[in-house]
Amino acid sequence: MQKPTPRRKLSLLFPVCLVCVFAGSVRAQNFHGIQFHGFANQAFLYSSDFNYLTMQSNSGSWRWTDGAISATDSLTDSFRLGAQIHMYQLGELGGANLQLDWATGDYKVNDSFGFRAGKVKTVEGLFNDSQEVDASFLWILLPQSTYPVDNQSFTLSHLGGDVYGYIPLGKRSGTPHYTAYIGYNSLDENGGYVKQLADDGLAFKEPPGGKTYGRDVRWAAAMRGLTAGCSAIVMGLDGSAPAGIPQVPSFLVNTEYAQFTKGKFYLAGEFRSTPPAKALTLELKTFPVPDDYRAWYAMGSYRLASKLHVGTYYSHYLNKSISTPTPAKYSKDWVLSARYDFNPYFYGKIESHFLHGTGLGYYGTDNPNGLKPNSDILAAKIGFSF
Amino acid sequence: MMKLQYKFRWFLLLGILAACSAASAQEVILVANKGLQVTAISAADLRAIFLGTKTRFSDGSHAVPVTLKGGPVHEVFLRHYIGQSPDEFRAQWRKTVFTGQGAVLKAFDSESALLQYVAATPGALGYVSRFSPSDDVKPLPTSK
Repeated sequence: MQKPTPRRKLSLLFPVCLVCVFAGSVRAQNFHGIQFHGFANQAFLYSSDFNYLTMQSNSGSWRWTDGAISATDSLTDSFRLGAQIHMYQLGELGGANLQLDWATGDYKVNDSFGFRAGKVKTVEGLFNDSQEVDASFLWILLPQSTYPVDNQSFTLSHLGGDVYGYIPLGKRSGTPHYTAYIGYNSLDENGGYVKQLADDGLAFKEPPGGKTYGRDVRWAAAMRGLTAGCSAIVMGLDGSAPAGIPQVPSFLVNTEYAQFTKGKFYLAGEFRSTPPAKALTLELKTFPVPDDYRAWYAMGSYRLASKLHVGTYYSHYLNKSISTPTPAKYSKDWVLSARYDFNPYFYGKIESHFLHGTGLGYYGTDNPNGLKPNSDILAAKIGFSF
Repeated sequence: MMKLQYKFRWFLLLGILAACSAASAQEVILVANKGLQVTAISAADLRAIFLGTKTRFSDGSHAVPVTLKGGPVHEVFLRHYIGQSPDEFRAQWRKTVFTGQGAVLKAFDSESALLQYVAATPGALGYVSRFSPSDDVKPLPTSK
């Protein structure tokens, strides 16, 4: 197991400090119109057969910590400025580095048209832009087929601009909301993709990045509680490494999704796919990227009491580019989860995973003895948000 | 005779429960700044304004929705008009704030503080359990 460096120890202390600083006045702070909010959480993970998500989880690991602080100021009725810094430690990923989660200027001409620019959260599917906002959902791990936590900082936001709004169609037709964006995003130098490539001997001087653009259209149906939508995002990567210039040409990711809320019930599902044509070009050689995937999940939850929320989901990932039916071709995860809100600011979660397949979340260097096809995982988390 | 009495008790109990339920829905009165031109608000617009997806009234003026921090009136308002529990409402706004898509609504400890703010702020919209004409706000009925 890698020994935590002083920097990493500091990173683990960051959310604890947050809690200590704000414990006396946990309500959101408001100074001259500027709103300050934040969250911090700490998780524990145990997996029965291997080390998962770069944590030494087979022995039980506490190395999963998240924290963020945001500041927002509405300068006029139509114009808002804001920023959020974020820090995470997930096993060997992340670290003490503070990341700029988002920093935007947002001008809303009217409800049908607005635009925001800067570092902007990327709207894709039901959870992409709020993946790290643990306080806003029931689950400890979102379905890893569509929201892999070890790579979330790559897809979370882009440097560029969005236009957004909704089109009023009348009471019986519901309301379509749209977002379209263009910009640039890059791999997280402390994230999962860079670690995987480094484990394969491809170290980067700077994390590769590339142009990205996409759109999301979601229809809030006239039937209260029903939302359905589709997203499409195009991204590509260019970088430089001592071994040469790696390049992945632009590729398209499609997502279709729906959710329904009725009283204490919540149901949601999502399907995501990428085309098979991806390739990594390194100087004159081209290597196929084994990542032609189909991923989907279906989830349901029920609020047993005002403070107690329980749910389950099934998450399915299939990499069609692997022709042999090995466990690396798929990842199938049955999940049971519960969340208890102690008060409006503190909460606790517990979750079990029954995972089949090794297609997601495993790193060879953390599992030198190889992988078995199945593993059970127990996760617990406490969180704080103000 | 005994059976009739038994049935009558059940009807009485159901009647009381129904009356309580109706009363709890009527305990909340929507109030708005007197300068607001609109005379009624649709249930869908009200919900969209309090969830942050709509920022203007039907006449185009800017909406400033405000809430109470907690209590039975807050809970009845959220359940009856917004269709969410206080926890769900809080989670929704957490998501909005931490994704950079909005700022949390101003919230007040007491109805009197909320009424003062609504009276002084153009476009402000809130809710209370009761108000008097001297509060300098106007009631805003909901329309279909």
